[in-house]
Amino acid sequence: MLPDGDGFSLFGRLRQGRDVPVLFVSARDEDEARLRGLGLGADDYITKPFLPQELLLRLRAVLRRVYREQPAPARLGDAEIDWGKGVVRRAGAETPLTAKEFALLKALWEARGNIVTIDALCSALWDGPLVGYENTLMVHIRRLREKVEADPSHPRFLLTVRGLGYRLRREERP
Amino acid sequence: MKLRSLWKGALLVAGSALLIAAVSLLGLLAFVWWNMADGRGWGTTMEQLSAALTRDGAAYSFAGEPLLEEGHWAMLLDEEGRVVWSLRKPQDVPEQFALTDVASFTRWYLEDYPVRCWVREDGLLVEGAPKGSVWKHDIVLDTRALLRAPVWFLGCFGLALGGVLGLACLAVRHWFWQAQKVRDTARSGWINGVSHDIRTPLSVVMGYAAQLEEAPDLPPARRRQAAAVRAQSQVIRDLVNDLNLTMRLDCAMQPLRRTALRPEAFVRQTAADFLNGGMAEGFDLEVDLPDTPLPVIQADPFLLRRAVNNLLTNCVRHNAPGCAIRLGARAEKGRLLLWVDGGIMEAEKPAPARPAEPDGSAAHGTGLQLVAQIAAAHGGRAEFFAGPPFRCELRLPAKG
Repeated sequence: MLPDGDGFSLFGRLRQGRDVPVLFVSARDEDEARLRGLGLGADDYITKPFLPQELLLRLRAVLRRVYREQPAPARLGDAEIDWGKGVVRRAGAETPLTAKEFALLKALWEARGNIVTIDALCSALWDGPLVGYENTLMVHIRRLREKVEADPSHPRFLLTVRGLGYRLRREERP
Repeated sequence: MKLRSLWKGALLVAGSALLIAAVSLLGLLAFVWWNMADGRGWGTTMEQLSAALTRDGAAYSFAGEPLLEEGHWAMLLDEEGRVVWSLRKPQDVPEQFALTDVASFTRWYLEDYPVRCWVREDGLLVEGAPKGSVWKHDIVLDTRALLRAPVWFLGCFGLALGGVLGLACLAVRHWFWQAQKVRDTARSGWINGVSHDIRTPLSVVMGYAAQLEEAPDLPPARRRQAAAVRAQSQVIRDLVNDLNLTMRLDCAMQPLRRTALRPEAFVRQTAADFLNGGMAEGFDLEVDLPDTPLPVIQADPFLLRRAVNNLLTNCVRHNAPGCAIRLGARAEKGRLLLWVDGGIMEAEKPAPARPAEPDGSAAHGTGLQLVAQIAAAHGGRAEFFAGPPFRCELRLPAKG
């Protein structure tokens, strides 16, 4: 649809020289076009019209994926999570996270304050559907709250969204 | 193709076939009657010939010579099978006949001459025709078989009619399919072109409106106007998307990418995405799922999410903040019942829960129409209840 060719061939020429991240911006919203763009190796595909904010967020996500950096420690109130070491520090004490607790906290943190369904959490933890794991998930959540919350009975950060899942309220400073 | 058109076509073909069969049968019967023995083929009837042959003592006089056609001959046999009178009798025809000879030629041929007979008081009058001039066949038919003839006729007629109807149906369907394909391609091309041309300028409108809305030095009134422009642009974008999808479903051009879908996970994820996207701000979105596992369904997650999102968006759009919106699912008689309810739908009337007519008479671009189409594409149906509260139920076939 470009005056002198199409985006797919332009993408091919672009990738011949450099391995840079590419995001398609197109008016073609058919599944075939979307699948073709992503199938060629594009990092994302956005259809017109869109909000500038959406484009910015998608670009940031692509850049975050492509130029992955060592994540900075996360802060939840007076608790600090060190992703590199897999520990929670509070009041000078270090509490190690189990592998499941680490994966759970990471999935919730990466959702950036959004709700993560219990199904998605089970998939992240056990690579399978929820069936049979719901109670186990609740146990992991309770143990995680004991490590990151000042008052696990009245959590401020790791919140339950009834009927749906959990949400990690992000806060850099208490 | 409409059922009514098919029915009319079938009636027309059946009526035509019946008329053809009736005329053919009548013509055949008339032909046979006209040309059968004692009919026109022999020229003169045996009764006339017999009347022309009179006995005068021991001699016979025949006044019907002009009645005998050229090449025809005649003879009279007495009770003993002897020829007692003859006219133009060929040489190869004997003068004496045994009982078996008489029995044979009365039914078949006499020395290959086609003959016919007439019983008189003084014997048997025989008229012969030239060899090969008349076809004779002795037909013997059981009376019961004769009575069954109409049944046979009707059976054969039905078979022939079925064949003709089948061929006609195939031809009409092929023609209709081709015509529809041409029409759908033209419509699809037109809508794709229009929506493509709308998207680029709409991007500019949305982009500038969003930038204006975020400009720090903009007076509040102008900011509200920019927000309205941005919001209405988004409505147009959604309409274009709905129009495209409606057209694709109408023309069966939207491939269904069915996968095994667990309803609980689908409902939770759809609700979470709706909340995460800030779509339900100020509204209370509740999820209602049973404790027992729901049946797995084969569905296209993208399309089904689109349908549920349309329903949730409609609830938000047509109700004041504070309104409770519920999204739930339950099993019902081998089907999955997916429902959304909440508030009152003021602006939008429920669409009919049926797939769109291929002639394009159905309404386009409405969210609820799209919901009905998506349900139909999955082999289910959508039902709308005006309420209050407004409620929509999607009944989808469950797997196994």
